Amino acid sequence: MKATVIIVNHNGRDLLAESVPAALAAARAAGEHDVVVADDASSDDSVAFVQDNFPEAKALALPKGGFGAACNTAVAAAESEAAVILNNDVVVTTDFLPPLLDDLGQPDVFAVGCKFLNPDGTLTDALGNRTSGEWQGGLLHIRHETRPERLTETCPQLYPNGGGMAFWRDKWLELGGFDPLFRPLYWEDVDIGYRAWGRGWRVLFEPRSIVHHDQGSTMARLHRPAHIERMSAKNGILFAWKNLLDGARFRRAVAAQARWAADDVLIGGLPPRTAALWWAFRQLGQACRARARERRERILSDDEILSASAGGSP
Amino acid sequence: MTGKSGASVLLLTFARRGEEQAIRDALAHMRSEIPDADVFAVGTPVSAPLLQEAGVESVIIYGAGRGARAVVRESRSRRPKAAAIIYWEPRLAGHLKLEALALLAGARVTHRFPPGSDARPVGRLGLMSSVASKSAKSLLCAAAGAALCGIAFACLLVSQTLAGGSRARRS
Repeated sequence: MKATVIIVNHNGRDLLAESVPAALAAARAAGEHDVVVADDASSDDSVAFVQDNFPEAKALALPKGGFGAACNTAVAAAESEAAVILNNDVVVTTDFLPPLLDDLGQPDVFAVGCKFLNPDGTLTDALGNRTSGEWQGGLLHIRHETRPERLTETCPQLYPNGGGMAFWRDKWLELGGFDPLFRPLYWEDVDIGYRAWGRGWRVLFEPRSIVHHDQGSTMARLHRPAHIERMSAKNGILFAWKNLLDGARFRRAVAAQARWAADDVLIGGLPPRTAALWWAFRQLGQACRARARERRERILSDDEILSASAGGSP
Repeated sequence: MTGKSGASVLLLTFARRGEEQAIRDALAHMRSEIPDADVFAVGTPVSAPLLQEAGVESVIIYGAGRGARAVVRESRSRRPKAAAIIYWEPRLAGHLKLEALALLAGARVTHRFPPGSDARPVGRLGLMSSVASKSAKSLLCAAAGAALCGIAFACLLVSQTLAGGSRARRS
């Protein structure tokens, strides 16, 4: 199976100096795989830097569209059965690719997520290692496994972290890739994982595929913390509006969201969810269309998705 | 409990970490305004030690089984001549609660201490209008949130219905 390793970049020339050679070494070690840098309209000389220093890698100069759009364009342009998406601040280990491709060979698997470690080799406590979720108070609450002893075997997970995931390109295209509803970023990987489970496909966590992630190094310099918080809160609401199809749960979720404004006023909650609600509301039309599509395509219920992704039977 | 002058002052603050200097400054100001006044505050079991360390004479505890009504009753019984509000927490919710408490406690004048500014005294009428405007703003926010969710819920439900039946099994 041939794979295209796609590194998504925006103004991360210095990060590419480390991540591109690591990806090239891994692609060479695993056979004949392509490495592509999908550049989201960088204003530094990222594209020229890749072209000058790593001629084996292909540089795609894309118009500004955000993380999801860059991924979608690069995956559509890939000429392989499988694709791997990496953040520009993710440095892969040389043998990270074969376990991912082995797992993709299993029936009904859509995607496989890597094991994320900090640059010093310790287990990261915030990023998607063996993800699971639970609907609570109007939102899907995401959990990540942080106990090393629980991260030793290949197992199902809710979604693959978008910073390091492999998947079947044809299934990706069938799902429509990352949904632009979640522009500029955050929750698009949760969404595609949830939708894949909803169609009866599986998402796995692969502990043998190790990548190092300097968490937030890209985000921290591109966005202010308050902006990141607001984007994430907005997309959490849109995720529920789009994906929560179970009638009773959905009613409870929207009722909980309606109470947020009152809570914000009376208790002063953080983050200010009323603002996030307004931001989400401005994308209501898009959310309605996305929800209608989910309604048509979904074969598992919300409870079945969460149960199956946690290792239970759907 | 009142001081030699027979007067007491109610200090209202959330007493968060980092607020110590603001509390000391407010206390100094109030003691210069009403010498010999007993200064009491309303605090939680967590904030009470911080308030007492800063120089507050006594703290009416809110929480740990004592509700807002009991706190208001006790604050009123001490007949504060004045109240002082420290606006450290920059949120509408916090401001509204503190101002409402000052009003309910019966203080004739309230000295407001915005962050980094001098005290701004305001009478009962001024405080009442401030509470009313903040309450209106709060209600408007809550109503707007509920309206947004109501509209969103209706639109999402309609779009889902128009999309036809789901293939998903019922959970």
